[in-house]
This record gives sequence, C-alpha cells and structure tokens, in this order.
Amino acid sequence: MNLPELTWSLLSRALDAYADSPRATNWLRGHLARFTEPLRLAVTGPHGSGRSTLVNALAGEVVANGPEPTRHHVPASRSQPELTLIDTPPVDAEGADPGSLERICLEADAVLHLMGHPHNADLSFLRTVQDHPVARAAPVNALVVLSRADELGGGRVDALISARQVARRYRRETELAGLCQDIVPVAGLAAQAGRTITEAEFETIAALAAVPKAELEPLLLSADRFAADEARAALLSRFGLFGVRLATTLVRGGVDSQAALAAQLLQRAGLSELRDAITRYFTDRARVLKARSALIGLEVVLRMEPRPAAAPLVTELERLLAGAHEFAELRMLAALNTGRARLPDGLKDEALRLIGGYGDDPPSRLGVAGPEPQLRQAALGALRLWQEYAENPVLGAAERRAALTVVRSCEAMAMAPGL
Amino acid sequence: MMASPWLGVLDDTIQACGAHARPDLVERLRARRAELAGPKVRVLVLGESGQGKSQLINGLVNAPVCAVGDDVTTSVPAIVQHAEAPAGAIVTGDDARNLEGPGRVPTPVESVTARANRDTGAVRAEIGLPRKLLETGLALVDSPPIGSPASQHTHRTLAVLPQADAALLVSDATKELTTSELDLIGRVQRFCPTVAVVLTKTDLVPGWRRVAERNRARLQQDGLPATVIPVSASLRLAAARSGDKALNEESGYGALVRYLHQDLMGHVDLLRRRSVAALIHMTVEQLGAPLRERLAELREGGTDELTARWRAAGHRLEELQRESARWQTVLSDEVADLIADLDFDLRERTRRILREAEEYFEVADPAKDWPEFEGWLRENLRSVAETNSDWLLDRFEWIARKIARQVAPRSGDVLPEALLDAESRDHIGDLRMPNVERFSLGQKLFVGMRGSYSGLLMFGLATTLAGMPLINPISIGAGAAFGAKSVFEERGARLKRRQAAAKTAAHRHVDDFFLTYGKQSKDTVRLIHRELRDRCTAVAHELRAEIADTAKRIKQVIDAETAERGASARELTRAIEQLNLLYRRGHALATTQAARGLTA
Ligand SMILES: Nc1nc2c(ncn2[C@@H]2O[C@H](COP(=O)(O)OP(=O)(O)OP(=O)(O)O)[C@@H](O)[C@H]2O)c(=O)[nH]1
Ligand SMILES: Nc1nc2c(ncn2[C@@H]2O[C@H](COP(=O)(O)OP(=O)(O)O)[C@@H](O)[C@H]2O)c(=O)[nH]1
Ligand SMILES: [Mg+2]
Ligand SMILES: [Mg+2]
Repeated sequence: MNLPELTWSLLSRALDAYADSPRATNWLRGHLARFTEPLRLAVTGPHGSGRSTLVNALAGEVVANGPEPTRHHVPASRSQPELTLIDTPPVDAEGADPGSLERICLEADAVLHLMGHPHNADLSFLRTVQDHPVARAAPVNALVVLSRADELGGGRVDALISARQVARRYRRETELAGLCQDIVPVAGLAAQAGRTITEAEFETIAALAAVPKAELEPLLLSADRFAADEARAALLSRFGLFGVRLATTLVRGGVDSQAALAAQLLQRAGLSELRDAITRYFTDRARVLKARSALIGLEVVLRMEPRPAAAPLVTELERLLAGAHEFAELRMLAALNTGRARLPDGLKDEALRLIGGYGDDPPSRLGVAGPEPQLRQAALGALRLWQEYAENPVLGAAERRAALTVVRSCEAMAMAPGL
Repeated sequence: MMASPWLGVLDDTIQACGAHARPDLVERLRARRAELAGPKVRVLVLGESGQGKSQLINGLVNAPVCAVGDDVTTSVPAIVQHAEAPAGAIVTGDDARNLEGPGRVPTPVESVTARANRDTGAVRAEIGLPRKLLETGLALVDSPPIGSPASQHTHRTLAVLPQADAALLVSDATKELTTSELDLIGRVQRFCPTVAVVLTKTDLVPGWRRVAERNRARLQQDGLPATVIPVSASLRLAAARSGDKALNEESGYGALVRYLHQDLMGHVDLLRRRSVAALIHMTVEQLGAPLRERLAELREGGTDELTARWRAAGHRLEELQRESARWQTVLSDEVADLIADLDFDLRERTRRILREAEEYFEVADPAKDWPEFEGWLRENLRSVAETNSDWLLDRFEWIARKIARQVAPRSGDVLPEALLDAESRDHIGDLRMPNVERFSLGQKLFVGMRGSYSGLLMFGLATTLAGMPLINPISIGAGAAFGAKSVFEERGARLKRRQAAAKTAAHRHVDDFFLTYGKQSKDTVRLIHRELRDRCTAVAHELRAEIADTAKRIKQVIDAETAERGASARELTRAIEQLNLLYRRGHALATTQAARGLTA
C-alpha cells in the first residue's frame, strides 16, 4: 500500500478507536473528507509582501482585496490544476493572535511563503510551520516566493533576472533551503496585471509604446512622473512601474495582442515558473500532501486525546512517517531540481522521471506506454540499473544516496499489484 | 579650533576609566578623543541589504564609487572622503575597528569597492574624491548590510558604529520601517545619537509619500528622534547625466545635501557634544554597572552565615546554663542513691557473715578453731569490702558517664573519657587493685581506702581480741594447765562460754568493720562526688568559656565586616555619584544649544 492508502486506513481505524468522542470523530471525518477535495494552498507572508496580489494573480481575477483570511476556489485550467487558495493575515502583524495563523496553516495542505530578499527575512514563521513531528519528517509542503521581485532589481525591466540569481543562490545553501522545497521569484503585481489585463489597458499601453523614446523615457523615470496624468496613474496602480516598463518594452519589441502581452507578462513576472513549481511540488502530489495533512490531523487527535485503544495507532503513525518513501521522493525531486543534490548529466533526467518529476503515474515515470507486464518489465529493468548505480564506487556518496532513493521508487513500482 | 568644553568632560571620563582600572576603555576613549578633536565628521550609512546604501553614496558624490548590486553586495565598510585627486585603497589587517589602519593597497577608484568586497583579507576600502560636499571634512561610510546578529556583515558594521559622528539609516520606500529596522535605530542611537532615516527608491513606488508619513509617525510614536529624508538615487544619477536641474530637485537629494551640509557640518560642535555625551553615557554605564552590582550585594548583607553561627553560639550558652543546674541535681541524687545502696549492700553482706559465724561457733571450739575462723572471717570481710568498693567504682563510672552527657550534651563520649582518665595518678604498686585501676579518678582515694580496710583487718581483729582474755588462745593454753579433770568436767560448760565469747568477739569485730569501712566508704563517695562535681563544673565552665569566646569572636568579625561593608558601600556610593556627575555633565553637553541646531 502507498502512503495515501495507508493513511486512509489509519484514519479509519482511528475513527473506530474514537467512536465515543464526538470532537475527535468530527475532526477525523473532516480530514477524511479533505482527501477528495482540491489541494488547499495558503499564501503567507509579512504585511505588504503581496499576498493578496499573488492570490489574485493565481486566481486570475481580483478575489482577495479585503481583510484576510479569505478562501477562493480556482477551477482547473490548462496551465494550472484545481486549487483552493487561502489568503492569510500577515505573519508579522503586531498584537495578532498567533493561534489563528496556526489554525490556518493546519487547514492548508501546502504553503506559499512570501518574502523580500532572504537576507532581510524573518524565518521564524517557516520554522514554526515545519516544527511539528509530521512536518519535521518531511518539509515538503512549503515553497518560498521572493515576492515583489521587480523591486529586488530596482524596478528595471530585467529585474527578474537578478531575482532569479538571488533565488538560485539561496535555494542551494542556507537554512532557507532546509525549510522549503524551492525558492521562486515573482513580481506579483505585474503578474496580476498580466492575468487580468483589459482591452482598454492594452490600448493604453500600445499608445504609450508608440510615443517616441525620448519622450517616453523621462516619463518612466519615476512613478511620480508617470502618474502625473490620471489615466496613466490608473495604469500605474494596476501594473506598477515595472509592469508598465515591461509592457511598453514588450509592445515596442513586437508583442501586438492583448493575449500575447498577457502571456509574456506572466512569463516575465515569474508567474509561469511559480505555477510550474506549484504543479510539480504540490498539485501533482496532492494525494501525498493530503495524506500528510491527514497525518498531522491524526497526530493532533492522538496527542490531545490519548487512550489505550489508540496506542497501536501512535506506533503505526511513527512507523509510517519513518518509512514514507513518498516524502523522500518529494525531497529528492526538489533537491535535484534546485541543485542541492547532483547526479551525472545523463542520469539526472532519468532519476527525475523515475521519481515522478515528469508525472506521477507509472507510464510517465517509466517512460513506457503499454500493458502491465511491459511496465513491470521496465520497472525491474530500471530497478537493476539503479541498484548498480547505488553501489557504483565511481559515484560520490551523495550521488549514491540519491540513486538509492530512485531504487526505492523503482521497487515500489515493480512490486505494485495493479501497476 | 577653540577650546571645547566637551574635551574637559571627556578627559575626566578617561581619567575615571583609569581610576576604575579599565585600560581597555582608556585606550578606546583616547582613540575616539583624537578623532573627535580632528576636523573629520564621519557619517555612517547603514541598513538592511539592498536598501540602496551604496547607491545613495554614489548619488551624493555623483560617481559610481560604491559597488551596487541586487544581491548582497557590500562586504566591507568603505569610507568616502575628500582628496585633491580621485584615489582608492584597500586596507587589509585585522583591526576592523580602526578606520585608519595598517596595510593600504592603492587601487583604482572605479573598482576599489568591488575588489574590496571580494577580497577576503580586506577590512575596508578608502576612496578619496575632490568634492565640494566633502571639503569641509565630511566622510561618508558605506557599510555591509545588517542582518542576522551572527553574520560577519552585521558584525563589521556594528564595529565601525562607535566611530560614527552621525548615521543615516537607509530603508527603501517599497515598505514601511520594519520592527527590526526600528530596533536598529534604537541601538544605533546609543552609540551615535544623530540619526536620520533616508527613504530611498522613491522613484519606484507611487505611494512613497504615505510611507514617509507613516515612518515619521512611527518614529515619533517610538520616541526615536530621527528626520526622514526621501530620495531617489536613480533620479539623482539620471539628473547628473543629463544635467536636469528639475530632475535633481525631484530626486530629493537637495534636502539630503542640505541636511549633511547645514544640519551636520554646520553644527559640528553640537555633533561632537552629542557624540561625547553618548560616549560618556555608555562609559559611565560600563563603569557603573559592576559598582552598582557590588553595592547591591553589600546592601543585601553577606554576614548571614556568620550571624547564624553567632546566634547558635548564644543558644548553646543558654542551653549549657540550664543544663548545669540540672546535672548538679542529678549528681546529688545519684550519689545519695549510691550511698544508700552501698550501705544496704554492706549491711546485708556483714549480716550474712555474722550468721555464718554464729553457726560455726555452735559447733566449733574457738580454742582449737579460732585461727581457721580468723582466716575465714578476714577473707570474707575482705571480699565484702572488695565487692562493695568495686560496686562503688562501677556506679561512679556509670554516674560519671551519665553526668558527662548532661554537662556536655553535644560532645559525645569525649568528655566522659576525659573525666575518667583525666589524671594518671601515681600508683602504689603493691596495693593496686585490678578494679581500682579502671577508675583513675578515684584511684588515689581508693588506694587509701583499701589500705585502710586491710589495715583494719590486720590490726582491728587483734585489738578486739586483745580485750578478751578468755578466748585468748594463750589463756586457753593456761586454762588447760588447771588440770585435766577439772578441764574435762567442765569442758561442756566452758566450751559453751568460749563459744559465746567467740561469737561476741566476731560480732564486735564485724560491727567495727561495718562502721569503719562504712565510714571510709561514705567518705570516699563524698570525695569522689566532690571531685566529680568540681571536674564537671570545670569542664562545663571551660565549655561555656569556649563557646562564649567563639561567639565573641564571631561577633567581632561581624562587626568588623559590617564596618568594612559600610565603608565599602560609602566608597561605592561616592564612586557612583562621581560617575553620575560625569553623566550629568555629558548630558548637559548634548542638551545645551540643542534648541537651535539639528532639529529632529
Ligand atoms: N529604483 C531605484 N533603485 C535603486 C535606488 N537605489 C538603489 N537601487 C537599487 O537597489 C539595489 C540595491 O542597491 P545597493 O546600493 O547595492 O544596496 P545596498 O543597500 O548597498 O545593498 P548591500 O550592499 O547588499 O547592503 C540595486 O539594484 C540598485 O540599483 C533608487 O533610488 N531607485
Ligand atoms: N512593485 C510591486 N508592488 C507590489 C507587488 N505585489 C504587490 N505590490 C504592491 O504592494 C502593496 C501590498 O500588496 P498586497 O498584495 O495587498 O500585500 P499583502 O498585505 O501581503 O496582502 C500593494 O500596493 C501592491 O500593489 C509586486 O510584485 N511589485
Ligand atoms: Mg492582503
Ligand atoms: Mg552596498
């Protein structure tokens, strides 16, 4: 049985053990029900870090503009699976009830945590998120977003390039890498603009782009200058100076339709990259993350209402966490993608595929489409091959460790009953 | 430069550091004094990473001398000051605290900071530029970003902080001042009281005015007197490139330059006073803290343990006083009991002897058997005397132990032994009796007593018999000479008479023994009693004297210590008062004339 199945059965048994406790029963039922719901993604961060803006950008419409928390369901689209987005109160709010934020995090299956330059960031919230027996076993539910990434690069058109460099540096080293799966820079305001751009806005931008350079450049020197005109001020508040600079540059460079501009903006503002990361780490693995949430919920019940009948469940929960290969796979996926773990060139791609980096189903993992015997054959072949890698002294210790994780993924497939 | 009042206060502070045996502070203050006496005014530009500190300085000198980057860039402080011609140098060494240091490597001014930031051996970069702004002695110090307290960057910036005459805290306009930035301002002001907040990147966000307003309100609310100056380095540099005066005005640099030129450089003396006041404040704190701690310690008293011991000694004395009355009574009672017991015992034993003697002479003929009887009687009386006196000794030993426990209740068995074995008396070898040996205290007495009862047995009997011619064996022998017949006829009657006389003689002898030995025994008891009492009294007295002495000595120590504490406390209080005076003088430096300069 895999982790989601084992978790399901563990929760069902807990329901029996706690049949006489309405509170525990309610709680456990809720977690069982969550299994089939879309993934819940909380967007957290300090005051003004752009949480609401990012929620809007991900939702594709302005849904978060009032006081947090708000929840918003996003139906599946071509570039993004179904999600429930949760806009949260700021983590640094003075005098706020710390318990409320904790409840929101318990409610979510995964977290997007926003921060500015990591050098200046306060990591205590991320540390709390991972400070839980289940979370510690697998810090696989958090992504860090370098938000307002345009400002990190001084609002220049190439700001995201700088921001990507900063992200790359931090995702490999430092404590931060141990607290999240990946670090992704996003210019949320420009991204939101890209997703919600109107025809009229496109027209205004196109008109601006048509203004001679010598005339336009002084206008784009500062927000104040650009906002001197009322129409431009409205555009500025929607796009930000970076968004306006980027959009006019793009139109000047030949992007000639609203749709094309929107797509380009999403790309350049880093939203596409963020959605990829959300897909790769979260929604593709929704069942594992759901199981994780359920296990956290179960741990809470076992801790808050200990009883003899539940003692075997405690042991089993521990065993499940210690042995859960799904978590190790997710960590390895992130490690290979971010460069925290390395494999020789040809092997890395195959490893990523086998651990589900290009799709979680066996045919995607094995790179073979066919009937069951053929799949099992492929799985056994991959298993043998990777067992050899795992013992190959030419590879370094870290590389052999990575290979071992792949071996376990292959074993799971080779032994799966239905495959 | 005219004689400044702050120099005097600073010198007094340095002297105080010397007096408090803090050569480290003396050295630091001397170095700082030399800096303060010079014309240079160092303005430290500090803040978190990427806020635009380096670019701010570039904007001020209109030259890209400080390396700028989107990720963490500056890793060593860079001092930008006046020079006739552009010049750069990288300073290496290990004393990062000193802005003037040892190893200087001249480096092209365009690349000096970039190289210094990469150079692991560099401790700072130095840039000289011919600028009007810097001509008056203004030096701008770029610094590595403040971040986690453990980071080397933070450490390096905080290390140059004490040398700063003013600080510009740089925070960009994309966000309001954060809690950590506000904390930082508070910390900076302790070293360097003149702080302004520079709000950078105003070109970037439309809402910078609101951010500036909220920052001002927050600073005021937190009691942090700091001007907020919004600027845009981008606009300043663009204005410099294009020579656009309006753009330059928009950049906000006009206000910044005015602040530096007029508010800071126009009031160097006030800056100095404030710096000195802060310096004195911190020095006084450093010097005063251990003093106050010691004073508190002194006041809390530390003679607790001694006082407790002194009290205990007092209690002990009282206790001994009570005990002494009690043991005396016990001793008298015990002795009275002993005398009665001895007397009864003696009476009993002699009575038994007499009974046996009478039975003996029912049959025996004194004329024939007297010598045997005499031997028997002597042996028996000796045994009575021995047993009785043994008993006496045993009882006294027991009494001595019992009393000893009362006399010196806490001294364990030490005292009884001392009582019993105290003096080894001269023994008279022959007469020594095994049991007497055990009781050295009474030895002499007993030796005497034994002597007297042996003597009694030796001579008393003879004397008694001497007054009884009828029983005299000689008279018996003479009697026998009267004639066999008459002797024979009269044998029955005569035997009876002889027997009666022998009985009377034995009676009298035993009575004599009883009286004489009894008196001797009682005398002995009294003697031992007296001796024991005296000895115990002496011991008790000694004990009391000892404890009283201890108590006295403890009291003396307490008194001496209290006196000493009082003296130390007065001394400490005076030293603290002196420091407070220094502090007030320092404080006065900063506040006088404040009204007409450097409005926050
Ligand atoms: N738009 C705009 N960007 C600025 C301004 N000042 C600085 N920047 C940008 O902000 C980023 C950081 O600037 P730096 O001057 O290197 O910042 P710093 O505070 O010295 O950073 P560290 O050396 O890491 O502490 C760079 O990308 C600059 O281009 C400004 O006034 N306007
Ligand atoms: N320049 C820039 N501004 C942003 C970005 N994201 C948000 N903002 C602005 O920052 C402010 C706060 O954003 P908001 O989403 O409400 O932040 P929240 O408090 O975390 O919810 C708003 O004025 C946004 O327009 C961004 O990526 N770039
Ligand atoms: Mg919000
Ligand atoms: Mg810098």
